[in-house]
Amino acid sequence: MAVLASNEAKTAGLFNRIARMLEIIENFPDEVSDEELEGVLAFLPKNVAPAIGAVLTGRARKAGLSFLKMIASSILGAKRASECGKKVLLIPFNCPPEILHAFDSAHPITSEVLSTLGVVALEGQGERYWDIAMGLGLPDHLCSANTIELGSVLGGNDFKPDAIVQTAPGGCDVNSKIHEFVANYHKIPQFILEKPVDDSPKGRELYLKYNRTLISRLEEFLDEELKEDKLRAVMEKANRCAELYHDLWDLHKESPCPVPNLFSLFTYGTRFTMWGTDEGVRTMEAMVETARKRLEERAYPAPKEVARMLWVYTSYYFDIANLFNWMEEKGYTHLGDGLDLFFPEPVDTSSLDSMIEGIVNAAWNMPMTRQVGGEVMSVSWSDDVIYAARELKADCAVYCGHHACKQTWSVVSILRNELMDRLGIPLLTLQGDSWIRRITPVGVIQKELDDFIKNVVASKKRRGRRKIADRRDK
Amino acid sequence: MVEDNMQKVINLASEIFNEEVKAWKEAGGRVIGYSCVMTPPELIQAAGFLPYRIRALGNVKTEKADSYLSRFNCSFCRSCLELGLDGTYDFLDGLVETNGCDHLRGMFENWQYAKKTEYFHYLKVPHVINENSLDYFEEEIRLFKESLEAYSGKKVDAESLARAAGEQEAVRERVRKIYSLRERELPAFSGFEATALVLVSSAISPQRFLELADQIITEREGGKIAYRGTRLMLCGAATDELELVKAIESLDGVIVTDSLCYGTRAYARIIDPQAMLSKPERTLAEAYLLDLLCPRMYEDYARRRDYVLKAVERSNVDGVIVMHNKFCDVHGVDNVQLRMDLERRGIPVLQLEKEYGSIADVGRIKTRVQAFLERIGVIESGGRL
Repeated sequence: MAVLASNEAKTAGLFNRIARMLEIIENFPDEVSDEELEGVLAFLPKNVAPAIGAVLTGRARKAGLSFLKMIASSILGAKRASECGKKVLLIPFNCPPEILHAFDSAHPITSEVLSTLGVVALEGQGERYWDIAMGLGLPDHLCSANTIELGSVLGGNDFKPDAIVQTAPGGCDVNSKIHEFVANYHKIPQFILEKPVDDSPKGRELYLKYNRTLISRLEEFLDEELKEDKLRAVMEKANRCAELYHDLWDLHKESPCPVPNLFSLFTYGTRFTMWGTDEGVRTMEAMVETARKRLEERAYPAPKEVARMLWVYTSYYFDIANLFNWMEEKGYTHLGDGLDLFFPEPVDTSSLDSMIEGIVNAAWNMPMTRQVGGEVMSVSWSDDVIYAARELKADCAVYCGHHACKQTWSVVSILRNELMDRLGIPLLTLQGDSWIRRITPVGVIQKELDDFIKNVVASKKRRGRRKIADRRDK
Repeated sequence: MVEDNMQKVINLASEIFNEEVKAWKEAGGRVIGYSCVMTPPELIQAAGFLPYRIRALGNVKTEKADSYLSRFNCSFCRSCLELGLDGTYDFLDGLVETNGCDHLRGMFENWQYAKKTEYFHYLKVPHVINENSLDYFEEEIRLFKESLEAYSGKKVDAESLARAAGEQEAVRERVRKIYSLRERELPAFSGFEATALVLVSSAISPQRFLELADQIITEREGGKIAYRGTRLMLCGAATDELELVKAIESLDGVIVTDSLCYGTRAYARIIDPQAMLSKPERTLAEAYLLDLLCPRMYEDYARRRDYVLKAVERSNVDGVIVMHNKFCDVHGVDNVQLRMDLERRGIPVLQLEKEYGSIADVGRIKTRVQAFLERIGVIESGGRL
């Protein structure tokens, strides 16, 4: 990994640094032994090795490798796009990538995935790119999920996308504004897809029209017509991914949970990048296969499952070893977070129109869009969280309190009340930045989780769960 | 008696439940509150209600609101919610929500969750301008009208809508007139006075505002305020803080124009009342969507920038202050772009982030403004002209 210590690496952009790392991971064999992994980790910078070690921990290694190779394919595909005559389109996480995979001349990459990769796998954890954005005078209440990557683009010493497809308007102001800023700053073409905050048929109809307009504009930009056969091939793989998502969902219901905590991150990492591709299918299959095997073996990392936690929006990503893996070794099952709540439905592949309608439905159901992009965000968010908590038999919930997330912060008190009233489940509200470790140290987060489990969840279990009827279901 | 009229306006602007609203309520009238400039007060008025634009007037107490919204939400919305929860806004019979921004949505959802009003309507406003969004908004306007009719128990006919539109247009026309007198070489109004007039224009009946405005305009047209040469423009988010405007102007500057939500952005649109007779919903949809100069709109930055540039030129502005309340993303990001574009054209800019209504922040802001005035060379070091 000498390349990372070079002077060039100190000024290089996030995308280019990630791509170099993934060029190595791309060549990993499909199976890696403990000894081989130890050898690889020895070469990595000290604040990167634990994260890679966590992703490739024994219980998740097969899926972890598949996930890393899938991500390598996504990022390196973008790097090599121009050689193949393709244009790279930067998307936010709530844009279903399958529509772009269906164009031969497009390759999507996702802002939040790039930021997360930078935070997880780069020396310095991407903070320097955040600082570039701050240096321009942008406010410190921006969302690090995308501003780390976009700060790198703003810095000018990095890979630049050919266009930005912006699907956050309606769901998130801060995401929409920073993408718009970058597009204007670098004069990058931008395509907007607004989500109407209207759950009525009128809102759905408008969203369908907006999507059709977006497709037409993309066809014009890419100089390529969306082809039915190509789209069908993508959507069949997307349907397979959806099936596997529901298999994994069902496996989460088992106790102790056979699904490793990190699979939450792998699931939405797949959804946001390679859904509808062979690599996406392979990663989802690897997760289901691993979880099934662990179910058969009744394998669980701790002597017993102490708590089943649903994280209601994002998790923390700046130290995944000391969060996801630490939790399950303590017996705290991470049942997934709000970004896993996109409930994919099979798409009718019989015609171009039916597939477009299926994609529009998928876009409507993307995380954030579906919840806080709903007509009444407290209602749509609460309904989804309560459904997931009940289905997955959660005994507590955690709101990570990512400070930039103003919509969820504005209604989390309602969610807390609804969770308690309708399910008798307590919500722990933390405060921090999910992607930047400067705000809240992981040790504090661990302590808060420990105290919550010990003083609230465990004592509640001892007393027996309160029988509170779900008034809304009556 | 000019000063009496201006003082009356300042008094009315300084109180939320002002004496005009009290009189309206005592006469049995109902009041509908709204917060965004994309809400057509014409409709509310035509349905027989008093449209009242929600404001916080620099309220700094947010204890109750903070148990619903969070410290990561904009303090203007928290202040408004506080006033909703503590009973200050109990005179409102109804509320109209708009999806102005994420904070505002949260404010309305919590307000309704904690304390339901008799009438509530959610007017959904698109974030982009095109034929599809315009058609959609036209339908939204129609639904809003129907909802008001259901609450009032009477149909809103074309004549009453045209009459209300005529009065609201007259209000906008008077405010534009006040701005033209404010922007001229020898301003007839200070920024503080103009802000007070703008605040009152959406807090009392149009008829009463027109009476007051006409008297004040007549008196001020031939006069000028005490003014020592520094001409500023104020841009940014919800700024209904009279004391803040006063504090900035205490530094030998006068705010001669603005691009504020409680300012020109609410009065730029022109509506032909006659058009309301034939196609009222379309007319309102076009006026309120196409002329919406708000950073919550996408693919529209160039228009917002050009609006500011024209105002700078028209008003012969020496420097521009762009402000946003902490955690306001739409203005926080737009302001950076605006600052860059103005500076590129040689226009001095002071970009400020502030806590809404904070007295402590006023002191800091005064220091920054004084430094700005010194930097652009309008005043000498030490604050003297």
